[in-house]
Amino acid sequence: MTRPQPGTAGTCASWGAIIEPLCAELTALAPLARAVGAPDPSSCAWHGQLFGKLLPQLSREQVLVVAVCGGTNTGKSLVASGMAGFAISRSTPEAARTRHPVASLPVGLSQRLDIGDLFPGFTPRRWSSDRDAIDAIAEPGEGNDILVWTDDTTGVQPAQVVLLDTPDIDGTLRENWHRAELVRNAADVIVAVLTQQKYNDAAVRDFFRAAAAAGKSVVVVFNMVDWPRQRERIGGWLATFREETGITPAAVHAAPYDADAAEAGRVAFHPLPECLPPGGGATATGAAVPGTRIVADLAATDLDRIKLNALAGSLRVVLDPVHGVAGWLESFVQQARGWQESRQRLADAARVEVTLPSAPRELVWNEIWDWLEPRRSGFDLAVSRAYRFAGRGVAWTARAVGLRRDDGARREDFAAEELAALKRALGDFVERLESACSRDERLAGVLAPRLVAGDRAAWFTDLQRRHAALPVVSADYRQFVRGELDRFARDNPATVRWILAALNAGAVARPAITVGLGLAGAAAVPAAAATAGSLSTLVHTAGDVVVGTAATLAGEGALGLTAAGLRPLVERLFAGWSAERSQVLADSIHDVVLGDAMVEIDRLATAVTRPEPERIRRLLAAAGEGG
Amino acid sequence: MDERPTDPLVPHPRVEVDFAAFDDLVASIRTWVGSLPEWAPTRPVRATWEAVEPRLDRARRELSRLLVVGVVGGTGTGKSTLVNALAGGDVSPAGDVARPTTIAPIVVAAPDVDLGWLPLESIGARVVRSAAPAVANIVLVDCPDPDTQSLVPVGAAGADAGGGRPSDTNHNRDRLEAILPVCDVLLLVATAQKYRSWIVAREVAAFAPGRPLLFVQTHASRDHDIRADWQKQLEEEGFVVPRIFRLDGVEAARRAAAGLGPEEGFAALSRAIDEELAGRAARRVRRTGSLDLAGWFLTESRRDLDPFREPVAGLAAGVASERTRLETRLATAVTARLRAGRQAWQRLLTDELVDRWHGGPFALFLHAVAALSSLWPRGRTFGGGVIGRLLAGQPPAPTTAGRGAWQQVHDLGIGEAEVDQSRSVLVGLAARARLQEPLVGRAHLDESAVQATVGTLLERTGLWLAAGIDRLVADRRGRLDGPGVRWLFESAFSGLLVTVLVRAGYDFFYGHMWLGRPVGGAGFLQEAIVWLLLWGLVLRWLLIARLRAGLDRDIDRLVAGLREAHLVDPLLADFAAAADRAGRYLAEGERLETTCTTLTTALDEPNGGLGRLRGKPS
Repeated sequence: MTRPQPGTAGTCASWGAIIEPLCAELTALAPLARAVGAPDPSSCAWHGQLFGKLLPQLSREQVLVVAVCGGTNTGKSLVASGMAGFAISRSTPEAARTRHPVASLPVGLSQRLDIGDLFPGFTPRRWSSDRDAIDAIAEPGEGNDILVWTDDTTGVQPAQVVLLDTPDIDGTLRENWHRAELVRNAADVIVAVLTQQKYNDAAVRDFFRAAAAAGKSVVVVFNMVDWPRQRERIGGWLATFREETGITPAAVHAAPYDADAAEAGRVAFHPLPECLPPGGGATATGAAVPGTRIVADLAATDLDRIKLNALAGSLRVVLDPVHGVAGWLESFVQQARGWQESRQRLADAARVEVTLPSAPRELVWNEIWDWLEPRRSGFDLAVSRAYRFAGRGVAWTARAVGLRRDDGARREDFAAEELAALKRALGDFVERLESACSRDERLAGVLAPRLVAGDRAAWFTDLQRRHAALPVVSADYRQFVRGELDRFARDNPATVRWILAALNAGAVARPAITVGLGLAGAAAVPAAAATAGSLSTLVHTAGDVVVGTAATLAGEGALGLTAAGLRPLVERLFAGWSAERSQVLADSIHDVVLGDAMVEIDRLATAVTRPEPERIRRLLAAAGEGG
Repeated sequence: MDERPTDPLVPHPRVEVDFAAFDDLVASIRTWVGSLPEWAPTRPVRATWEAVEPRLDRARRELSRLLVVGVVGGTGTGKSTLVNALAGGDVSPAGDVARPTTIAPIVVAAPDVDLGWLPLESIGARVVRSAAPAVANIVLVDCPDPDTQSLVPVGAAGADAGGGRPSDTNHNRDRLEAILPVCDVLLLVATAQKYRSWIVAREVAAFAPGRPLLFVQTHASRDHDIRADWQKQLEEEGFVVPRIFRLDGVEAARRAAAGLGPEEGFAALSRAIDEELAGRAARRVRRTGSLDLAGWFLTESRRDLDPFREPVAGLAAGVASERTRLETRLATAVTARLRAGRQAWQRLLTDELVDRWHGGPFALFLHAVAALSSLWPRGRTFGGGVIGRLLAGQPPAPTTAGRGAWQQVHDLGIGEAEVDQSRSVLVGLAARARLQEPLVGRAHLDESAVQATVGTLLERTGLWLAAGIDRLVADRRGRLDGPGVRWLFESAFSGLLVTVLVRAGYDFFYGHMWLGRPVGGAGFLQEAIVWLLLWGLVLRWLLIARLRAGLDRDIDRLVAGLREAHLVDPLLADFAAAADRAGRYLAEGERLETTCTTLTTALDEPNGGLGRLRGKPS
């Protein structure tokens, strides 16, 4: 028996130095890749070779994994037991009974190696009887895929050979296919159990073609052969199989149909040297050999070469520019770019203009007034109080004759109008999101479930509740006004006097306001902004200062303010008020309508800037050079 | 297993089936399937129907034609060997030389059978004539296998770029899928190796609906008897499996060639073919097949549509809930507006009454006050809007287009925002039921839709309110319009007038003229007129108070009837109609399924030894 040579270990170590960080990067990127819509890595051929073979096997003790694979009821279990020298898994007349792979380990290996590490994806379970492969049921908390293992009880199994029986690859239970594929990925040698009924079935061909592509060595066993009548036929069958799969078998055997022997668990393997290419190695004459001999021959030939071929084959699959990691990475980048475009599309589509009713002017002015009060001279105060008194008198008269509603009623009207505007904006926003989803499948994937499954009546109720809970002038706004005015007073000490004069003269200004609701980062220079999650309400003043002609009713009089730099201040104060009012909409949309959907879209749109793809490319290049 | 207690030879005591009921069912299904094409969930139903309808039609037209029995199964299971055994000769190449053996379908028929109706050319079939008794009354087709053609199309994404493999030109599954539609019965052949083949199960499941099946395990001389396990597998896949034949085709052919009698399994299959697929049995198979197919279609359709039942009901409930919300807003606003217009009510009620009262001093007084009131320049607008105009005795204003309509409807408590809210909620519910444009409109009504919906709302509300106010006014007027009330008020007013006049006459004629007292001057008359006016006003106030008493209660009663008037319906009409249509579509599907089940039970066809697909396992 040949032990792995230092050269093999060196090669493995150098590959391992690349494969481990590569796997780490891919593992880190995988959740994001799935989220952006890149193909699921675990469904790619390279994933099985990378995570199922290279990662677990490069850095561990070198063992030769020999797996017996084939279609339903082709006698895999019988063949595997024949090769192991004892009944590792029971052979039954019914098809697709082997549900879990069974591994026979060379003596002592289970003490040196964790079987779960060698066969990732499986939950290892120690063998208790030959029915384990049929009856084993996953315990709660275990994965569905169980791998039953046993130590070689005969003592004839070569020291570095792990032999496995596997479930079928063509039956009605698809999880059997999956388990067989996991074992195939980890294997170095595949024992292909074929029959005259199945050697050219598409499912069988596809399975073994993938094994050939990954550099596995293949031993072909034609089972249930009508021996020797069909011996002549086998050459033709094998030629078709080779042509279809690209496999050059390391050995070919025929196992005759013998119901009694099968019943007793015995199987005879007839080497077929005539089926091997010239110099194919086998020298047998056609006399039956025990199955254990086939395994021993494998280990005795060139174990290092077989192992290295299998590892190099796996690496070849990983490095394939189209079907390997690079191809997958390219599709990830394309998907991530698509998300960037989708996000921009959403930002363009979901911009809503909210026309809020004009703020009751006295609300803002009263705040300014309260700030000014302690700073006024006695004369100013007297004059202004006179104005306020007069103004109140005029307002009372106007109310009395029915020309003006009282403050409470006006505020109710304002609140109703404001709520109506916010509701319209919410409806508009939702409609725009729907429209964006109808044009963009990516956005639909994230947003549509919320838009469709969400309780919309609750959205509007939430908005209504938030609006009702919002005080007309909040403590935050009061603080904002004082801060703004303090700053203004510091910057323009002379103008403050002017403000007093202006106010005394009864000037009133109320800028026209529009509020835009959109995704954060929308190109705009707002007068004020409030954000909730990724949503922003951007308040724009129209630039016109409305000079109140009916100003006397509010007691502030009428005078233009354009001369003193006061206009931007007043605009800002009004805009700040509107920003606070409109924030309830952004809060509502963020908290109950979209939840973290916008954050998710932002995350996906920035996927293209992640560092992993570049690092993965560098590692692939290094592996290409090293391999 | 293959020995059933019932003997198919015993004639079943049933009368010839009247196919008219089935024709009615098919016609109803056809109408139903096409009744709501705009609803996305009906698309798979229509697509399935397009495949099913021609088969039902054909089965009806070709009731007496020979049955076409397709022999299907994986490669190497012995289909061709079995066909050869049944045909009594080597009609189809069989053996173990290479897989697959059968490429083109082989159609085996008796020498005198006209096969003109079979699309032999398009399915690439080769015809072989046989005089064997087993194929005397059927047409047997040896079908290509489904399992040697690659699952991934050549050149498709995911197919590796090996290229140039023999299997690239293997189209056996495509050929199989071309021939199966013309088969009436499937003879499914399997071996111990292939009875659990995924690809065979997939193909059979796709073509089994409406096609009775015979199940055969071959290779009996070598393989274990797997029929119990196969039956379990088939039943899990939704098949009804009355029996599975077990035979060995090679052995059957050998015995036939040697002139020996057939072995038991083969003999049983031959008997079953003769008894259950030939002659009158063929008609029965077609009928049950057609009913099965219709039943399968309706069951599958129901399964496709089941997920939409709850969302459709949710939309209907949502429409009701939003309608109630809007009606509540409408009722609240209308009540508030009607209650607020006290002066308008007073004017409306008294004007009405005064118009009817003539001929007495009090009536004269009321007319005089009304005439004076009309001179007083009091604003006659009571807040404008629909209600203001109605209370002012004016007709509702014609609806204006676009935003004007929203302003008009504003004082009814239903603004644009409220309608948008309701419609947005319903758009969400409709989307859950996949009811989209054009079945329902958008959340925000465009200009033309506003005219149609809000305009109708305004018009209906105006008419309903006008009628209600008229009724209310008439009712109140009726309380005071009787002769008794009039007599009372006229008497009360006239009493004072007469007293004044009598007193003035007494003073003048008796005191002044008779006794010669000096005339008292105008003082008495002035005082009397003042008191008369005051008395008249008091009576008028009493009259008005009587008219107005309980007005709020009557307004509440009027508004309580608002829901029955369905005033807000136009705003949500598209959603209500969509929910209704979808609900009726679902109900009709269920009704047809029940009808089909009833028909199947009523026909009570004997099933014989034929299997069938009942439906997907639950």
